[in-house]
Amino acid sequence: MAETGAQPRSQTRSRRRTWQDMMTLLHTDLLINLTLRDLRSQYKRSALGWTWSVLNPLVAVVVYSAVFSLFLRIQPSVGNPSGLDSYAVFLLVTLLPWQFFVTSLTGATRAITSNSSLITKIYFPRWVLPTSAVLARFITLLVEMAVLLVVIALWEGHIAFQWIPVVLALMVLQLLFTVGLALMISAANVYFRDIQHFLNVAMQPWMFLTPILYPLNLVPSDRELFGFSYRTLYQLNPMVSWAKAYRNVLYDLRFPSAERWLGIFIAAGVVLALGFRVFNRLEPRMAEEV
Amino acid sequence: MDSPTSVAGAAGAAGAAGGPAIALDGLGKKFRLTHDRNWTLKATMLAGHRTRYEEFWALRDVTFDIPHGSTFGIIGGNGSGKSTLLKVLAGILRADEGTASANGRLSALLELGAGFHPELTGRENIYLNGAILGFTARDIRQRFDDIVGFAELDQFIDEPVRNYSSGMYVRLGFSVAIHVEPEILLVDEVLAVGDHTFQRRCLERFDRLRDEGRTIVVVSHDLDMIGWLCERTAWINRGGLAAIGPSGEVIEAFVAGGEGALDSGPAAAGLLSLQGLGPDDLVRSVELLDTNGQTLPAATSGGPVTFRVRYDAHRVGEAAIVALGLYRADGTHVTSINSGAAAAAAGSDGIVEVDYHLAALPVQPGTYELSVALHDTTMKKVFERHTHLVRFSVEPGGGDHQTGLVALGGTWQAQADGA
Repeated sequence: MAETGAQPRSQTRSRRRTWQDMMTLLHTDLLINLTLRDLRSQYKRSALGWTWSVLNPLVAVVVYSAVFSLFLRIQPSVGNPSGLDSYAVFLLVTLLPWQFFVTSLTGATRAITSNSSLITKIYFPRWVLPTSAVLARFITLLVEMAVLLVVIALWEGHIAFQWIPVVLALMVLQLLFTVGLALMISAANVYFRDIQHFLNVAMQPWMFLTPILYPLNLVPSDRELFGFSYRTLYQLNPMVSWAKAYRNVLYDLRFPSAERWLGIFIAAGVVLALGFRVFNRLEPRMAEEV
Repeated sequence: MDSPTSVAGAAGAAGAAGGPAIALDGLGKKFRLTHDRNWTLKATMLAGHRTRYEEFWALRDVTFDIPHGSTFGIIGGNGSGKSTLLKVLAGILRADEGTASANGRLSALLELGAGFHPELTGRENIYLNGAILGFTARDIRQRFDDIVGFAELDQFIDEPVRNYSSGMYVRLGFSVAIHVEPEILLVDEVLAVGDHTFQRRCLERFDRLRDEGRTIVVVSHDLDMIGWLCERTAWINRGGLAAIGPSGEVIEAFVAGGEGALDSGPAAAGLLSLQGLGPDDLVRSVELLDTNGQTLPAATSGGPVTFRVRYDAHRVGEAAIVALGLYRADGTHVTSINSGAAAAAAGSDGIVEVDYHLAALPVQPGTYELSVALHDTTMKKVFERHTHLVRFSVEPGGGDHQTGLVALGGTWQAQADGA
């Protein structure tokens, strides 16, 4: 009896041990602290403080709704099966994740270069710097998406809350994708300061080439370039998959297609792996070049 | 996800293996000196892989061990590579050759409070800094009161650190780093800051760490401190190990052999030029003369000497003041003096010769360096400044044996009272 009793206990212990090892490997405490640093210092000494993070998407929705819905008369597809027909919601479900993506990348670009005093004085794994910069924005996104979900629930009833796990899965996959890209960009920016300027230039066209302000079906599929339809080429942009999936879940209230999920998993996995690879290659000389 | 580093940090308990705390084996670190740095993508694309740079070995072929539980000093002149060595040990820089391995949890004090964020409070910064140094939140919570107590910041711990005085900042930084309880502590010149009371408490803390069997490695210009703090010392010169052994002997060799290790100049001139003066410089020459105006091979402690500075007054265009700064070869500032109105009186024509006479040079034998500057008569404007322009040696001047910085030149008298 004593022997069988000992068995599960040692198993829990080893499981706890593995958990602790993983936390150490991921430098959880350091990540949490650096993320808190970013969040706490973000709106310090500003009168409106956190109100700014609400104002930003609010102003964007008002402006984009006026221009694209009122002036240009873009018809958002009616949510199927939700029956939802509102440009503002149609826009927000993709705009919030997009703004997270943009602010994460611009913030992470300078994550290494602006912490040069830290990097030249203390050794700690450098990948936590861009990663925590992204994590801080992710916390903001969580809050924004929670508010948005409540708004959608006002239309649709509490059935919208059933989709929380799916939205969270999408968000986590987007987080991994963004971290991967942030690692590459932050490391490259140490050696080529052009990256930060390039990023500013690239984000605007990228946004317009992602179905955020308009539905995907407005991209022509009957015209071709190099033998491929515009729609096919357009979908090479990995952000299309996320925009489409977010809209499926939060606007249409249906499960994204297997094809979308596949695209999302591959993009997140490949970019994250590539991100760490590039970062580890560039890390050794960082303290000298920064 | 930790990329492999040549410094094997946090590898087991201290002293478990009985081997050295730190082992350096053929360590080499090179830097690239790029003449035209490719900061832009375009330039790199155009240049391809043919970026032109010179390699410069800041450290080469350094091999020695630092024993467990000892206090170890590293000395050397400016640019000798001793700080690079410390950064390689700390894992900040990666070795290009050989290995540096640390046996035990290592913490480096290269700059106190380097990880502080000015907008965050002292409390928040303790957790942040602790995490950067590898601590978990629970570890910090346990030591929080000790950290605050040692830094003497109980009242201010919830203030943003931007409101801290520099002393408070440094105290907090030191306190966090010391409470990490490293098995090996690397310290770079950080004790030069903070007031005397705090410095004394830091040194007491070092004593305690040493008594606990921890290893402390100190890099400093302060030879006196190294002398009484460290049992053994390594002298790094031009990226190589010049000497290693008991601190007293190594420091003696360093002070005495200071000039021998540099490019040997014309010894007969007495003054070894460290920078050289260009044709465009206003200062034309600096000389060391005896009472008859003859060039001296070296000054003598307690003996007469004249420093002569010649400068191009015509090109200065107005009256000038000559300032001299005297430094010991280890960087210790001995004194700074300026000619005041005496040199200004010479006017602004042709080459002006300014002499500074000393009846008895009041410094101990050793190697010294002289800085020279030209100011306007209000001392507000600097025409030209040459820091550590020349180096010269001061020979023992007979008399009784003395140590320290100055030669007081006094006389002893003893007599029996009464009887």
